[in-house]
Amino acid sequence: MQSNISYSLFFEICLLLATTLPLMSFLFSLAIAEKYSWAVSITAPFLLLISALSSLVVFFSVLDEQPYQFAMAWMVVADQTFSAGVFVNVLAATMLLVVTVISFLVHLYSIGYMAGDAGFRKYFAMLGLFTFSMIAIVLANNLLIVFVGWELVGFSSYMLIGHWKEKPEAARAAKKAFVLNRIGDAGFLVGLMILWTHQGSFDISTLDAINGFSEWQTAASLCIFCGVTGKSAQFPLLTWLPDAMEGPTPVSALIHAATMVAAGVYLMIRIFPFFTPTALDVVSIVGIITSLIGALAALGQYDIKKILAYSTISQLGLMVTAIGSATPDAAFIHLFTHAFFKACLFLAAGSIIHSLHHAQHQFHTHFDVQDIRNLGGLRKKLPVVFAVFLLAGSSLAGLPFFSGFLSKDAILTGLVTWAGPDTSWKWLVVMGAFAVTFLTMVYTFRMIWIIFFGSEKKTSGVDLPESPVVMQVPLLILATASLWIIISWNPFINTRWINPALVHSWNVTILSVIWVLVALAVAYRTRNRASQLKIFLHAFYLDHLIEWNIKNVAMKFVGMASRIDKKLIDPFLHGTAYAQVLVAHVTGWFDRALVDGTVNGFTSFVRGVGSVTRSFQDGKIQLYIFWSIFTIIIFLIWTLL
Amino acid sequence: MFPIEHVLFLAALLFSLGLMIIIIKRNTIMILLGIELMLNASNLNLVAFNNLMPEKMDGQIFALFVIIVAVSEAAVGLAIVLQVYQYYQTSIPDSVSDLKE
Amino acid sequence: MSFTTFMFYFFEAVAALSAVGLAVVRNVFYGALLLVICLLAVAGIYVLAFAEFIAVTQILIYAGGILVVIIFGIMLTTKISQKPLVVEHSYVLSGLLAAGGCFCMLVFVIAKEPFVSFTNSLEPPPVNSVQTLGVTLFSKYMFPFEIAGLLLLIALIGASVLASNIKSKKT
Repeated sequence: MQSNISYSLFFEICLLLATTLPLMSFLFSLAIAEKYSWAVSITAPFLLLISALSSLVVFFSVLDEQPYQFAMAWMVVADQTFSAGVFVNVLAATMLLVVTVISFLVHLYSIGYMAGDAGFRKYFAMLGLFTFSMIAIVLANNLLIVFVGWELVGFSSYMLIGHWKEKPEAARAAKKAFVLNRIGDAGFLVGLMILWTHQGSFDISTLDAINGFSEWQTAASLCIFCGVTGKSAQFPLLTWLPDAMEGPTPVSALIHAATMVAAGVYLMIRIFPFFTPTALDVVSIVGIITSLIGALAALGQYDIKKILAYSTISQLGLMVTAIGSATPDAAFIHLFTHAFFKACLFLAAGSIIHSLHHAQHQFHTHFDVQDIRNLGGLRKKLPVVFAVFLLAGSSLAGLPFFSGFLSKDAILTGLVTWAGPDTSWKWLVVMGAFAVTFLTMVYTFRMIWIIFFGSEKKTSGVDLPESPVVMQVPLLILATASLWIIISWNPFINTRWINPALVHSWNVTILSVIWVLVALAVAYRTRNRASQLKIFLHAFYLDHLIEWNIKNVAMKFVGMASRIDKKLIDPFLHGTAYAQVLVAHVTGWFDRALVDGTVNGFTSFVRGVGSVTRSFQDGKIQLYIFWSIFTIIIFLIWTLL
Repeated sequence: MFPIEHVLFLAALLFSLGLMIIIIKRNTIMILLGIELMLNASNLNLVAFNNLMPEKMDGQIFALFVIIVAVSEAAVGLAIVLQVYQYYQTSIPDSVSDLKE
Repeated sequence: MSFTTFMFYFFEAVAALSAVGLAVVRNVFYGALLLVICLLAVAGIYVLAFAEFIAVTQILIYAGGILVVIIFGIMLTTKISQKPLVVEHSYVLSGLLAAGGCFCMLVFVIAKEPFVSFTNSLEPPPVNSVQTLGVTLFSKYMFPFEIAGLLLLIALIGASVLASNIKSKKT
């Protein structure tokens, strides 16, 4: 057990509160009776509010200070000791703040969004568990705890995606998310094993302190990256994320924009020094491929949530590319800003869906409310949502004066620095990143334009109510957070109160401003020309490809395995079986003749002794007397003679 | 007049015969008679030894108590015997073996 | 051989023979009568051993009390079961072995230890035997005497409860 003395008890209490209150919320929501489930809508956001405030305290305490460390022995297996504890540096504290604040806002929002839902209790319970496990990942001081939190996140996201389990698509999406995550987690586990074998420690600070790079480190880091591709929806395990939009929209905001998918990126940032250059090259290539696929696919979508989902994939890819280009700080800034504006976008989309559902209910019309082709001209009917959407969208698109601009600028700067002056494959990555920012602008503009501008389509006849206040407040807070001041006072230069070591280049800044404006112009020109490419709509048929591959390859494997089974294993098994029967007969004979014989001999002996002794007590009183007298006489002879 | 050993020999004989009666007779009343015989043998011993200290009278008093106990024993024993007769319709002790197993 | 000595050996012989007869005889009723003879002989020995009170008690209680009860018992049981009074013998060998072993053991022990003989106290003791007995019984042995009375009472009640047919008639 060790802890820093420089931190006060108040700090530790706040840390404890921030960590455990979501768990309390989970337990409370589970424990409370169904009859009083309305109480959950008060307690859960309240607990999360305290948690968020505590993490604010933690954040400001850790800022400009030494990291807080606390560890204790967790279990001892053989002579190996596994420790458990927290390691809070600025990075972890910032992430803690993001997770708790967004979780709180989503809780608040969910009161309005999920009102009247049958699984209200379960929903809030799972939100609490999800937040807790995410915090575990964020604060844990070793990878074993991270893995535990990782799996808990996977489980709770499974529960939340499949919240409306009566919908077959939701159940299927939950299953898919879970299975694809498992594939990644298998890699993560293998990585942990490699790590343990070579290093004998899961401690993050120990990992970060490793000097030099070796082969096993590349292998371990790539295995861990495999886990990250599962959780952060990287190529090729990205297809679960768009499907996961079947869950309730606040869940999408929490899980698939701000926290869960961020877990992978966060983990990579946290153990960044552990990654070897070779591994980082792989990471950057995977990242840029993911990013391009996401951006192009977002261009072809019509479902509002799917656009956001693919956009998330694209942004995550960008973060991973930034990590690959050895600028984890830039990746983290983007993670930070993205968490806010993407959560805001999801919640705003949720508001639209919510309002339209209510309207449909009222006017007895029916159309797919998530399909943007059915929407249009909503800026007059839903002004608040429009404003919010515009702000967050601008941030996503990377317009100046928004947080997204600053973070993307940081990433691009990092990339350009990383690529260096020489022409190499790295410049392809840089070009890819620029293409992604361009495409981001285009699909964001297209989405906003189709939803809010133009003429009303199927919504023309209906009267749209604004969302309740509990839903609007989180929206406004998050929209404010997508302005540039969340990062720095200067809208063009990162004053970097989070990561002061970042390089800044005016060239890149000016270039990206121009680039974004060009993209805006192009987007405006092509605003009404919807992309007809099926390949975008189906995200490069990646899903089908995976499925087809799995089907074919797996079937081939199965066929081969069955042939091997019939030709090799079956005869072997039969032979073994015959041999066993033979041995059994021999042993059976042995058993009967010798073992049973001995045992039977013993039993008959015991029976004989028993019948002899029993004859002394057969109810014949006079014989009793005789025997006792006889014994006494013998005793007397013995003593007297 | 006569040696004390002779009294003691008679007591030993009576005691042994009482014991034998208890063992061999197939009748509960006879067994009771055997017990009375054994008690008398002990009484005989007590009275004989009393004469070693004639002032004390302890032996004779013990003999009296033995007689009292013998009376009680005979009364209760006979009552039990009668009840057993009524219940089992037999007087052979071996037949009364319900507590055997 | 004086008269007293003769009487002593006579009583001894009677007691021993009647006891042997008791062991051998098969009729319960004869057995009871032989026991009476044996007890009377023993009472005679008591008289010769200066224990007059015990002798009288012996005659009164055994011959007059217990034997009457036993004879009543014999009559009652034979009346119920309608069986002959003849008693079978069983385990004769075991009985002889135990009794013989016991007798040999006792004789051996008695013969080994030298006892003071009665010849030393040819005269009756200077004290009045019955008077001393009464005084001792009601002074030194007061408490055991009371307990003995209680025992008799309990035996009386127990015997009457056991022997009564009220319970069995009810059921």
